[in-house]
Amino acid sequence: MNRRFFVFISLLSMIFCFSLNAMAEEGMTDTEIHVGQWGPQTGPAAAWGSVPRGTDDYFKMINAQGGIHGRKIIHHMFDDAYNPAKTKAGVKELQEGTGIFAWVSGVGTAPGLAVKDYIMDRKVPWIGPASGSLHWITPPEKYLFTVYPLYYLEAKALCKYSIETLGKKRIAIAYQNDDYGKNGLKGAREELARHGLKLVAEIPVELKDTDMKPHVMKMRKSKADAVLLWTSVSHAVRLAGTSAAMRFKPQFMTTSTCSDFPFMYHISKGLWKGVIAATFAEVPGSEKPLFKQYKKEVFEKYANKGERWGLFYYAGIFLAEPFVEALKRAGRDLTRERLVKELEGLKDFQGISGKVSYKPFDPKDPTCRLGVKEIFLVQCLDGGKTKKLTDWMEIK
Amino acid sequence: MIDFFQMVVSGIAVGSSYALMGLAMVIIYKTSEVVNFAQGEMALLSSFFAFMIMEHHHIPFYAAIPATLVFSLFLGFFLEFAVLRRAKDPSVLGMIIITIGLEMILMGFVSWKFGADYKALPFPISPYESVAMGGVYASALEVLTFGVALSLMLILFLFFRFSKLGVAMKATQQNPVAARLMGIRTNRIVMMTWGVSSVTGCFAGLSISAALMHPYMMWDPMLKGFAAAVMGGMTSLPGAVFAAYLLGIIENLFGGYISIEFKSVVAFVIIVLVLCFKPSGLFARHYVKKV
Repeated sequence: MNRRFFVFISLLSMIFCFSLNAMAEEGMTDTEIHVGQWGPQTGPAAAWGSVPRGTDDYFKMINAQGGIHGRKIIHHMFDDAYNPAKTKAGVKELQEGTGIFAWVSGVGTAPGLAVKDYIMDRKVPWIGPASGSLHWITPPEKYLFTVYPLYYLEAKALCKYSIETLGKKRIAIAYQNDDYGKNGLKGAREELARHGLKLVAEIPVELKDTDMKPHVMKMRKSKADAVLLWTSVSHAVRLAGTSAAMRFKPQFMTTSTCSDFPFMYHISKGLWKGVIAATFAEVPGSEKPLFKQYKKEVFEKYANKGERWGLFYYAGIFLAEPFVEALKRAGRDLTRERLVKELEGLKDFQGISGKVSYKPFDPKDPTCRLGVKEIFLVQCLDGGKTKKLTDWMEIK
Repeated sequence: MIDFFQMVVSGIAVGSSYALMGLAMVIIYKTSEVVNFAQGEMALLSSFFAFMIMEHHHIPFYAAIPATLVFSLFLGFFLEFAVLRRAKDPSVLGMIIITIGLEMILMGFVSWKFGADYKALPFPISPYESVAMGGVYASALEVLTFGVALSLMLILFLFFRFSKLGVAMKATQQNPVAARLMGIRTNRIVMMTWGVSSVTGCFAGLSISAALMHPYMMWDPMLKGFAAAVMGGMTSLPGAVFAAYLLGIIENLFGGYISIEFKSVVAFVIIVLVLCFKPSGLFARHYVKKV
């Protein structure tokens, strides 16, 4: 009898334990929230590796302030070398091994696309992919919230500015021959069509290309007076450099990915002077109080030696801001569904980027997950200094 | 017509770095029949050494360049002496695998030591200033690289043809046993070739670094240099140089007139064609071993 009773009690306690486990949200305990992120620390896109380092330091500041409602953020970041296969392996390992409550940021269109379906199938929230691809919102996904403005909108803004303000009529584009570049191409085509114009040259750049002369010759032949550079940092510098060597001097305009002016000015040996870019966050010397606070309490306290207070470092902060805000609003009774609900409730939330707003999920409305619709344009001056050309503007 | 000449000049300009890498690979192959896939990363390490002493230790350019060349010479010596010579029962295939391993180690070391961010080597000649020749442009750096590539080819050609050491290197490749019997210290000869080859590659690395430096910068020039070396026949120095320029010109003409998207792969299509129709390369004399 005693033996049967013992077995019964053991079984009961096992069932109780398992059911408790099933009730708890994956990646979360009473004292911890596990958050995942990927970003290249090595490889050809390593220049964007400061994004996850910025996020990591931001979470360190939050944890030092006591965490959020008694929970510390445990940040799991890994180097995927901008290789989608590595991204997929790393995400799967962390999700199924450690258990991740939510994914934040994650650098790159191609790496993000490799894991989007996996993360969405598991109904894990993913906030702020560090890429402005249209893929994140077409179609919108219930658990995917963008923060980074769309490349497509950046291209439209640049074309609009070059036509209406600079009076340019012959616009060409050199674009990376992948989803990132094609988003820019699409935006440029549409905006020019709105003005009754067409791109005078559409020049694809392959990631492996190192010699840019054939590309520049095509630009020159098109007699373009403005050229959009929708490529990687290194290709953008090479294109501008080769153009200078071939004495072809259009107005270069570029995407936010090449808008870290002090860095671009340095590696291009000054050639970046005069380049106009779309950008998505305060300029490095901004006097905005929150911006200065982050510089003091995140960068100066936690950044590694050799780290730079550059655009991509603090992009890592602003991409995570809506997530942190939603965690604060969710309170102690945190679940993934609650997090999603709180994110959907954000309206004109202001961090160090443009205002962030979401709407309740509507599969037919891509803008319900498009957080930031505002950008502004900047121009590179001597020494990599930044001149603001426009205020924050919403592009449609 | 101007466009055509511009493409040819641009092809020659880009061909110079392929030529230097091709020459470097041929030098080692001529002595040991080993294709050195670490060639690009040896040049990479030397270029980052130049960056380090100029940027961090403020050594002036004209002192830093000779110091870098000496560094690359000893790097070649070291890799041969410390790694390749230690291989037990070395076969050519085994040695090639070792060079692939070395390639990864050197690239990893550079990424770890210097970071993966882009850098700019302080170079007195701007890669963005050009020389105009009747509407056709070439940057001053490209003209310099062209001159260096041709001079090096000539020096190496004369060295292998007429110097005692050069002849010893050739003998070591053709018959190591006989060479040893003739009193040649073949180990030392192989070490020398690694040093000379490393210095040759270093010139390519420095010219590429003048525009933009990052740990992956030498992979493409190394592959194109290898393609040129194969086209030229792997043992012919003028062959490798000629093939490199031909490759650069074909790439540019292909990009200009046919497809810019497939410009980069055209080199490898050419390799396939050469290997199908003239496996010994365009310039190598067919070498027959008598039984």
